[in-house]
Amino acid sequence: MKILKKLRRVFRLHRIFIKQDLKRLMEYKIDFVTGAVALLIAQGINVFFLSIIFSQIPNLDGWAFEQIIFIYGFALLPKAIDHLFTDNLWAIGHFIIRKGDFDKYLTRPINTLFAVTVEKFQVDAFGELIVGILLLSVSVPSVNLSINPLNILLFVIALVFATLIYTGIKLITSSVAFWTKRSGNITYMFYMVNEFSKYPTTIYNRAVRAVVSYIIPFAFTAFFPASYFIAGGNPWFNIGGTVIAGSVLMALGILVWHKGVSAYESAGS
Amino acid sequence: MIYVNNLKKEFKKTIKDPGLKGSVKSFFKPKTEIITAVDNISFHVPRGEILGFIGPNGAGKSTVIKMLTGILTPTSGSCEINGKIPYKNRKSYVKEIGVVFGQRTQLWWDLALRETYTVLKEIYEVDDAAYKKRMAFLNEVLELDEFITSPVRTLSLGQRMRADIAASLLHSPKVLFLDEPTIGLDVVVKDNIRKAVKAINENEQTTVILTTHDLQDVENLCDRIVMIDKGSKLFDGNISELKRRFGQSRELRFVPYDFAAVEALDYKTEFGLGEDDLELENDGHKVTVRFNSDTIPVENILNYTLSKTHVKDINVTDADIEEIIKGIYRSEVKLDA
Repeated sequence: MKILKKLRRVFRLHRIFIKQDLKRLMEYKIDFVTGAVALLIAQGINVFFLSIIFSQIPNLDGWAFEQIIFIYGFALLPKAIDHLFTDNLWAIGHFIIRKGDFDKYLTRPINTLFAVTVEKFQVDAFGELIVGILLLSVSVPSVNLSINPLNILLFVIALVFATLIYTGIKLITSSVAFWTKRSGNITYMFYMVNEFSKYPTTIYNRAVRAVVSYIIPFAFTAFFPASYFIAGGNPWFNIGGTVIAGSVLMALGILVWHKGVSAYESAGS
Repeated sequence: MIYVNNLKKEFKKTIKDPGLKGSVKSFFKPKTEIITAVDNISFHVPRGEILGFIGPNGAGKSTVIKMLTGILTPTSGSCEINGKIPYKNRKSYVKEIGVVFGQRTQLWWDLALRETYTVLKEIYEVDDAAYKKRMAFLNEVLELDEFITSPVRTLSLGQRMRADIAASLLHSPKVLFLDEPTIGLDVVVKDNIRKAVKAINENEQTTVILTTHDLQDVENLCDRIVMIDKGSKLFDGNISELKRRFGQSRELRFVPYDFAAVEALDYKTEFGLGEDDLELENDGHKVTVRFNSDTIPVENILNYTLSKTHVKDINVTDADIEEIIKGIYRSEVKLDA
């Protein structure tokens, strides 16, 4: 019961903070409308170029056009969800700690990590989310995918833990700023490795493949789980790997974060 | 209520040579040293007291406040407030305190002020009835009504400070920490803020810890002061005690007929004084001499002055608290409190 009450409070606060951020966005009307239009244009162009590129590649290392679209679309979903909810972690590495603005989270009676992430609701992520869903829905009829309850469950599990891989990596690298004051570029470097995950990892050489599979395991956010649904494979590895990588990275991230909070030095005055 | 024992905070600091070259050198071969910002400070504050924390810039005031509010973890020593250790029981502890940093704001910058209060209400789990009553009270003492619908970014500094203080008091905290709450404000707003703090302290027995550079704050509000410099405690007691202990400093003011004749006055040689024992100021309208009545009896300095110059007017007064504190900051002697 206590846990249930706590969860209710978390969701309630989450909703209130999201509303707050949407109000903030709409406070500046011209900027808001321009941003929304720009987002639509950017994602439109994105889809357009993807269709050009993929129409030139009938197959890639044995993967058919539709299968590549499916993997690419799948890759966008966890990235978008993470982007939507935890974008403020970038600000931790860039300026929140360096300027001492972290003080205010520490004087409030809510978990600091929750307080930081919940403060920003990154609506830009809807662009990636829409494109991801679009790509998945165009490719599903032409890939060999059986839609049954088990697969749906595995899909949801894969999505959740793939998102945690993103969040975990951002969390660990952003937390470094508690000691170094600034770590935005470290986050950027690790984060950009996700670009490799949108394509079948079999097209890379062994070194790259090892890095994106086991060291910075972005392959588990897209290629491994997505290929399980369309080409089969060992679910313990393809989906289980995602669960393990997501859990380990997230746990490590929370640990480093809390160590970092006690090492936090604030800033003058 | 508040117990602080041998509290200490050290920071590691990288030392760099000047310029880009220094930065490059330090990048590859950093040199660090340990800076002690707060050095074994102890004090105790009973419930309902207003304690003034004073000291020159960089004395370590904010660092102490940040340790007491759970923002920084002390290097050693301990502090306990309401039976809780700030950096250990942070979440349950901060529910019972209010914090205002005059140089920062916790308000939602882009939104109307009242939006901040509705979110804080949720964060601190204040129920509707209590919230309504509280807002009415805060509105009465801090006069928020005139700007509660304005976006925070459009508030003047005085309004923003009142709004921030209200935000820190929404959940009826037992202890209120105010770090330079009157910084940059005009005399009227300062006065309003002092009255509000006093009212809250009296109505609710709220313990207040306040840092300031404005000694009017101290004289009007504080039951007691703790003075620190270079991380150590210099003085701990009430204002009348401060005046009694360090109040021997006096000011001799006179208006001579001939300002050039003042040149002939050489107090330091006459009374055999060091550089810092006496201060002479001649602004062309009057001459002010600050001295300590322990080292030079008032009679002697008057006799000497009158024997060398002809004066239109002359008087001797007690130095005010500002002068006393200036003297203590300047002399940098560690006084055992």
